Amino acid sequence: MEHKIVDHLFRHHYGKMVAILTRFFGLSNIETIEDAVQDTFIKATLQWRTRLPDNPEAWLTKVAKNRTIDLLRSLKAERNRVEKLAGTSAPIQLNDLFLDHELEDSQLRMIFVACHPKLKPTEQIAFALKTISGFSTKEIAAALLTKEDTINKRLSRAKQTIIANKLKFDFPHQNQIQDRLARVMEVLYLTFNEGFHSTNRDKLIREDLCGEAIRLCKLLLKKEKFRSGALYALFALFCFHASRLESKTNEANEIVDIKEQDRKTWYFPLIKMANVAMNKAMEYEDMSIYHYEAAIAAEHIKAKTFEETNWEKILTWYTLLQELKPDTFTLLNMAIVNLQLNNFDAGKNILDGLSISDLGQRAYLYYGSYAEYYAKRDDLILAISYLEKAISTTSNSLEKAYLTKKKLQLAN
Amino acid sequence: MKDFMMIFIGASYEELGLSPEELQGRMGKWFAWGDKMGKQGILKGGEALVPTIKRVVGKDRTVSDGPFADSKELIGGYYIVTAENAEAVVEIAQDYPDYDLGGTVEIREIMVFDQ
Repeated sequence: MEHKIVDHLFRHHYGKMVAILTRFFGLSNIETIEDAVQDTFIKATLQWRTRLPDNPEAWLTKVAKNRTIDLLRSLKAERNRVEKLAGTSAPIQLNDLFLDHELEDSQLRMIFVACHPKLKPTEQIAFALKTISGFSTKEIAAALLTKEDTINKRLSRAKQTIIANKLKFDFPHQNQIQDRLARVMEVLYLTFNEGFHSTNRDKLIREDLCGEAIRLCKLLLKKEKFRSGALYALFALFCFHASRLESKTNEANEIVDIKEQDRKTWYFPLIKMANVAMNKAMEYEDMSIYHYEAAIAAEHIKAKTFEETNWEKILTWYTLLQELKPDTFTLLNMAIVNLQLNNFDAGKNILDGLSISDLGQRAYLYYGSYAEYYAKRDDLILAISYLEKAISTTSNSLEKAYLTKKKLQLAN
Repeated sequence: MKDFMMIFIGASYEELGLSPEELQGRMGKWFAWGDKMGKQGILKGGEALVPTIKRVVGKDRTVSDGPFADSKELIGGYYIVTAENAEAVVEIAQDYPDYDLGGTVEIREIMVFDQ
C-alpha cells in the first residue's frame, strides 16, 4: 500500500483535538467536545474507506481544525445572541493553538487536570486514558480488568467533579507544581504497571498502556519546569522495563519468566535511552522510589544470564526502597531475592511476616514464593501444595497456566 | 459479466461506540478491501451513507425520522462490482470487514433492461 497510516494516528489525534478544544471551550464543555471529536473520526473512517488522502496526518489535522472552527462559530453565534459579544480574532488565536508547542501545552494541561487531587485515583487513570489517550470505555475496562459499567461510572464521576469544582484547564501554581507532579508521576507509573505487570490476555492492550505512559512522560520531560531527578528516573524505569516487554510472553501468549527469557531479544535502543535518562536523573538532587526501581530494573538488564544477576546489589536497592517507602510488595520482592541468594531463613522470615490481605489480587505471588522456598529446601510436597494454593488464588488464566506448568515440573 | 450491488447492513459505528483506535483499524481493512477490488478492476463505485433517515410511509405519506430503535438493521453503504455471477460476489464479500460487529452483506444483481 502506498500510503501507510501512522500507528495510533487516530488515538493520538483524538487526545490532541480534545485538548485543543478544551483549551478553547473550557472543561465544562468536555462532553460535547468528546462527542464532536468522535464524530470527526467516524466521518474520516467512512470517507477514507475508498480514498485515502495523500497525507492522512495532515488531512486529519486540517479537518480537526475546520471542525474546531465550526464548533467555535456555532458557540459564538449563540453567545452573540445572548451577550452581543464583539467579533474577536478567534481564528488567528485558533491557528496558534495548532502549533506544535501549543498542542503539547494543551495536552500537558489535560494531564494535570486528569491527575487533579479532587479526583479519586481510580477516576484519574480512567479519565486520563479516555481524554488524553483516546481509549474507549471498553478498552479502558479491558486494560484495567474492570467492568465497562464501572469505568462509565468513574468517568462520569470525574466529569461531575471537574464541573462541580469548576476546575480550570491550566497548570498548577508554581508552589504546587512539585506536589501535583508527584501525583502525575504516580498515575503514569500505575498506568505503565497495568500494562507491564498485569497479565492481561491481550498483548496489544499491554503494549498500548506502556506506550502511553512513556509518551506522556516524554511530553513532561520536554518542559524544563517539570524536569526532576524523579521524572527522569521514572522515564528510565519505563524504558528498562519496556525493553523486555516483547520477551515476557511467547508466541502462544504464555508467560515467560525472566529466567527463561531470551536476553538477545531485549530491545537495545530502549535500554540505551534508559541509561541516558538515568544519568540525567543523577544530575538532580532529589531522590525517589523511581530511582531505586530503575536501578533494580537496570541490574536485571545488565546481567548477561540469569545466573549472573547481581542479587546482592538488587537486595541493597530493595532495602533502600523499603526505607524510603515501606511497601508489602517490596518486602515480598526482598523475600524472593533472599531465596535467590540462598538466604533461606531471611527469605522465609520476611514471608512469614507479610499479611496476605495487603497483596490483593497478587496474593498468588506470596504462595508462589513459599513454593519456591520449599522447592529450594527440597520439600516437594509442601512446594506443590503452595503452588496449588497459588493456582487457586489467581483468576488470571495466563498465571494459572504458568503456575500449573511449574507444578508439573516439580512433580516430575 | 454482470453488475452487482453489495449492500452493507448493520449497526452504525456511532451506535457501537468504537474507539479511535478501533476506527482506524476498521478503516485500514475497508481501504485494503477497496484497494484490492480496485486493482482487480471489478469495483465500479460505492458510497457510505449518513445514518440519519427520513422515512415516508403509507397512503397518508406519514413522515418519520430515524435512525430507528432497531438500528442494527441500518444500511451503511454499498459497493457496485462486476462479476461472473452471484457466487463470485459471495467470494468478493469474504473480505467485508464488519462481520465481527454483526454486519451483513446483501448481494443483489442489478437488473438490465432490453434496449
